[in-house]
Amino acid sequence: MNNPLEPNSESGRTEAARRRRIRWLVRVSSLVVAIVLLLAARQTRWPVLVPALSPFIAVGSILATRAFAVTACLGLAVGLIAMLRPRCFCRWVCPLGLCADGMSYVGRRCGRKPAKLPSIGRWIVLLTLASACLGYPLLLCLDPLAMFSGAFGIAESRTGWLTALPLLLVLTTSFVWPHIWCSRICPLGAFQDMLAYPLRRARQARNQAGGNRSSSRWNPPLARRTVLGVAAGAALAGIARSSQGSTPRPLRPPGAIDEPEFLGVCVRCGNCARACPTHIIEPSLGRHGPAGLLTPILHFEESYCLVDCTKCTQVCPSGALVRLSPDGKASRPIGLPQVDMSVCLLAEGRECTECGRWCPHAAIRYAWSETEYTLIPEIDSRKCTGCGACEAACPTKPNKAIVVRPIGKAAGY
Amino acid sequence: MDKHMNRRECLRALGLSGLTAGLGLTGAPASHAQGVGESSGFQSSVIDAHKVQDMRTAATIVDGKVIQPQRELPILHQTDVLVVGGGSAGVVAAIAARRAGASVTLVERYGHFGGLWTGGLVVLIIGHIVKGGKQVCQGIGEEMMRRLDKLDGAIIDRRPGVSPTVDAEAAKYMMVEMIEEAGVDVFLHCWGVDAIVTENTVRGVVFESKSGRQAILAKIVVDATGDGDLFAAAGAEFEHRSHNVGLVSRIGNLDRIDAEKAGQAPKPRRLGSATPVPGVNWVNLTGPEVDGLDIATLTQMEMNHRKFIWNNVQRTRQTPGYEKVYLVETAPQLGVRITRILNGLNRVRLSDLREATKFPDVVGVGGSSGATHGEWQIPYGALVPTKVDNVLAAGRCISVDMGMADLVRLVPNCFVTGHAAGVAAAVAVRDNCRPRDVDIAKVQKVLRQQEAYLG
Repeated sequence: MNNPLEPNSESGRTEAARRRRIRWLVRVSSLVVAIVLLLAARQTRWPVLVPALSPFIAVGSILATRAFAVTACLGLAVGLIAMLRPRCFCRWVCPLGLCADGMSYVGRRCGRKPAKLPSIGRWIVLLTLASACLGYPLLLCLDPLAMFSGAFGIAESRTGWLTALPLLLVLTTSFVWPHIWCSRICPLGAFQDMLAYPLRRARQARNQAGGNRSSSRWNPPLARRTVLGVAAGAALAGIARSSQGSTPRPLRPPGAIDEPEFLGVCVRCGNCARACPTHIIEPSLGRHGPAGLLTPILHFEESYCLVDCTKCTQVCPSGALVRLSPDGKASRPIGLPQVDMSVCLLAEGRECTECGRWCPHAAIRYAWSETEYTLIPEIDSRKCTGCGACEAACPTKPNKAIVVRPIGKAAGY
Repeated sequence: MDKHMNRRECLRALGLSGLTAGLGLTGAPASHAQGVGESSGFQSSVIDAHKVQDMRTAATIVDGKVIQPQRELPILHQTDVLVVGGGSAGVVAAIAARRAGASVTLVERYGHFGGLWTGGLVVLIIGHIVKGGKQVCQGIGEEMMRRLDKLDGAIIDRRPGVSPTVDAEAAKYMMVEMIEEAGVDVFLHCWGVDAIVTENTVRGVVFESKSGRQAILAKIVVDATGDGDLFAAAGAEFEHRSHNVGLVSRIGNLDRIDAEKAGQAPKPRRLGSATPVPGVNWVNLTGPEVDGLDIATLTQMEMNHRKFIWNNVQRTRQTPGYEKVYLVETAPQLGVRITRILNGLNRVRLSDLREATKFPDVVGVGGSSGATHGEWQIPYGALVPTKVDNVLAAGRCISVDMGMADLVRLVPNCFVTGHAAGVAAAVAVRDNCRPRDVDIAKVQKVLRQQEAYLG
């Protein structure tokens, strides 16, 4: 009578407890490993591994950028597992899931009840993947692994605290409505469900073998939802792209894909900002439009983009920053400096050649203007990579006389 | 006398034994003033023709070419260390060498000390600090600043981490005091024009003055001419570079600007920066990049800049509220920045600044304008020519790459290289060795004793 598969039996209970213990051990280990990987941003390229695990990001970015990064293999592998074992990743690995579960537990202890909600996650996935086909994945940044990674930028820069907001939002949601994030909202969870769907249908069909075969036919409500989601995604992607055309393009890290696609493909994981050895990447506060909130922008007030460094491009999980070699970086300028002679010390007759001295490419020379009777810094756009060394060196305050400006598409970017 | 002795050496021997003794020129420099002849009753007397001038041989024309006949030069003076150029590097070099125990002679082409610092009105002490505000220019340069602190109206903005501005006249006065106290022999109004060289070794300097062409013999020559005139004449390797040539001026009555009248209108440009004299600003002018050794160019620069400065002040005076602003003076010296740069045993490169290279033979630490960089070390090898012996470079012409030239030419960094060259020259004299063979540990020890900062 001691059947271990019988849950009510004595040995069955211990077996279940043992498995639960193992699962908890794995989950906590995953969380610790994820934290260690993300904290090693400046020394290693490991942080890329955390958001790269997401099949949602992998598929979304492949569709949007029509490029395949090696790191996407990780996400696709997780996706493959999800097809066979639904939500296996959520139950065993997801670090955000563990945090959300923890908050849900606290919420339930405080008497909070789960809310009834349709599966929003599925809509997020449909919208995103449909719009990704048009190059602008709308809600890719709602990926839990990206949000989890992003929170590690909290102490990085002046605006770093903002990067923890998405994670905080998820935890608050989990407290107020226990388990609702993972089961109803999380696009990564929903995507895994969708991936597992065909096999589950097939299994159901097999179980009902000999019965009515009409149940295995295409499910009309799902089809309607899919069509609706795809259409809405496409429409929103179109709107988002056209609305971004007018706002000025901000300065992006090297290798950034064109705007406005960047806004969609970037998952706001903050890996680039945390990897940057000179701390010049910080999350946007939305100065360049709300769609750009938390996307990486560059500032050269104190330092600049080192010539041989391509770290930010190597820790980007979504392909928003194309992987670059140092040579490739030189041929992909970040921007081009512009000189404001109304601020420049040279126009005052002051002695200053700081920008030229710091330029690593010797792209700045000083030309004498007989009419203005002053030297004027001239930038050789063929040599300049927009690294910002000149801007960082410029001693004028509060406004720098030489400022790197983004190069628009029109300028032959 | 050695029968293999060549003509030049023979002449020098003659000069040493006969002429100097005969003319009574071996004494103190002051003794080269000429005695006056019989009084004529006016405040002017006929002076006996200077015997030096008697030795002059006019140039002549042979086959359509102007020829300077070969002639013997009188030896005005002999010394351990001869510093050519009395600018910020030369003055410090002379004082440092004298304090280190050598007999020192300083020749300067103008009538005052300080060179471009005072005569060029580059009165801003910029480049003595590094990122974070630490002052790296110590030693005799800092001693000068402390002396200026004690003088009334000599220096402003003497605070840690800030670039002070000095009064040129106060600095000239202060340097006269220091040179006299140190016991340096001085010849002003002397333009060093040629090196005296035997077998790649410098033995002294020929210079031109109102007293004609004369020679000073020295064991070690410090070339603090800024243009590297001496090491170039001696045959050392160098780089001839163009740079901006400008002219500094001072404008006055800035404390009498009518603010009400000026209102919110944009301020005129080029009002310059404050000096210790109330209401007087100094105004820099960068100027075009030209060859600072070409006399036609220098002439053109002087005239162009003069016109611009005058007209610019007139424009300022036409601005409402600024009518009383006036041009106090233009600098007596044209602002030549970089001309010749020595090819030394070592060379300070911009990469050394960025990587904060440590040199085992460090003899000074440079700062930066605007304190935008960290400390950068100056190796002794940057002062020593590759081929020629017994001459050391000091000041803006030491061995640096073009990226560093703009830092090395700043006044405090000239103090630092001057200090290093002066001490090294004195140590070489004491140890009776070539400057390239000098014991660097001894040089560093003496520099530290003289409170120089070596990192």
